[in-house]
Amino acid sequence: MTPSRAAFAAILAKDLRSELRTLQSLPAMALFSVTTFVIFRFGLDRTQLSGSLAAGVLWATLLFAAVLGINRLFVAEREEGGFDAIRLAPIDRSVLFAAKAAALVIYLLALELVAVPIFALFFLQDLGGLVPLVLILLLADLGLAVTGTLISSMAVNSRARDLLVPLVLLPLVVPLMIAATGATEPLLALGGPGYERFGTWLIVLGLYDLIFGLVGYAVFDFLLED
Amino acid sequence: MYGKGLRPLSIATVAMLAVSLSLVFFYAPLDADQGFIQKIFYLHVPLAIVALIGFVVGGVFAIAHLRTGNRKWDAYSYVSIHMSVIFGVAVLITGAIWAKASWGHWWVWDEPTLVSFLIVFLMYATYYPFRYAIEDPERQARYASVFAITAGAFVPLNFMAVRMAQSLVHPRTFATANGGLPGEMMLVFLCSLATMALLWVTLVKFELTAKSASGQVKRLRRALDAPAPGGSSRIAPEVS
Amino acid sequence: MFDLLAAAPALPLDEAGKYVAGAFIVFMVLLVVYVAIMAAKLQRIERELRELASFAESRASSEKAAPGRESETPSISDSLASHGSRGGGAV
Repeated sequence: MTPSRAAFAAILAKDLRSELRTLQSLPAMALFSVTTFVIFRFGLDRTQLSGSLAAGVLWATLLFAAVLGINRLFVAEREEGGFDAIRLAPIDRSVLFAAKAAALVIYLLALELVAVPIFALFFLQDLGGLVPLVLILLLADLGLAVTGTLISSMAVNSRARDLLVPLVLLPLVVPLMIAATGATEPLLALGGPGYERFGTWLIVLGLYDLIFGLVGYAVFDFLLED
Repeated sequence: MYGKGLRPLSIATVAMLAVSLSLVFFYAPLDADQGFIQKIFYLHVPLAIVALIGFVVGGVFAIAHLRTGNRKWDAYSYVSIHMSVIFGVAVLITGAIWAKASWGHWWVWDEPTLVSFLIVFLMYATYYPFRYAIEDPERQARYASVFAITAGAFVPLNFMAVRMAQSLVHPRTFATANGGLPGEMMLVFLCSLATMALLWVTLVKFELTAKSASGQVKRLRRALDAPAPGGSSRIAPEVS
Repeated sequence: MFDLLAAAPALPLDEAGKYVAGAFIVFMVLLVVYVAIMAAKLQRIERELRELASFAESRASSEKAAPGRESETPSISDSLASHGSRGGGAV
């Protein structure tokens, strides 16, 4: 195993182990999602959702829950000297970016494992759209993870740490949200799942992931300079 | 020396402005669909194009900054983005006026280009709080460059996504934008575009000169060991 | 082409004119506001330079130990003098 791959695995394992042990972010994100669903139920005064409303409620909630987790992504690194450690190690520093993004994808998938079934329980009548939804979730999570890691790594070194992530990340993920909701809306339609432009939206998601993955990987080195 | 060439640039800008305005109101033919309202097109669209190119230019300067480590590129990047944001305000306001005149509403979600531009504007508006939240000047410059590059990559993606989100029922509204412009209108449009581009460059140079002057004052102050003024505690990009 | 114009249902000219004028006015206002902000910056630079100049002069004079230095001659005449000697400028 090359040193970079070993480092990637080590950082990822450390993060997952630490999260499993302390259980800081995941329960908060899950709980937040469920409570937000309840707020939407009363805010919109609806007990059944379909089509664009369902897609909107689901994705807005997932996005805001993700921001909670993203805010905390690099806090441990900053407080315990993780940044220094990676600076000293003789490996490509972008490994930290890849490992953190991978961890974030896993957190988001874990979140969705809880939030999506509950969403279906609360609001959906027809569950047929849920299986193809997994594909959208995967691609969107990748995009969220990549941009979230990038912004979080910068915000953690600033004064207004908790403000910056939502402020800067939200406009950045608008294209992602457009594609995700665009693909989800026909899936959750009243008469059963539809697949209009499903492929096109998936391509947009993939393009987003690719572009920001590359950008993040390329610039991360500059973020770690002292 | 940033001020060098500022005078000929400003003169050229003023001249082009006069020429373009004359062309818009005395030469350009009246549009068949929109009538006199269409004249706003010669103001709104060049401003938008120049603003967007300005954002990309800001990203390019940011790349130069990261590659060379020379902070002057960061100042160029900052001023480019700053000027494009100001132009962006003009784009959104003139766009709203055009919308009101065309459909009676100050804002419409039907026009994908305007909506995309709003999102891009919101993205770049976060540049300032982001930048000023970072205290260390060198780090601030580096992070700002990363932001500028990321946001630069974001612009085309965003336009594509918003356009795709348009319901296929709503027809493209400002279809004039570039397609099918008759010869005389195209000439006036290109003239306006050149004017706005010149204006952008002139104002960027103007701003850089002012920053440079401030930088020289600080340098003088340091050399004289003079006490610092009350001034703002904000750490802003400098040119020296 | 002109028969097309006759058929067009666009806003009447006086109303349309207001919107077009409004758009161009917004542009001009933004431009002038920008100039005003830059003017404020220029004022601050002038003020700081003035302070620094008097600071430097007072330091120079205290080094020379020359007592009772009279108040400075307005330095705007200095800038005019240097302009004249510089000639044509950047054109």
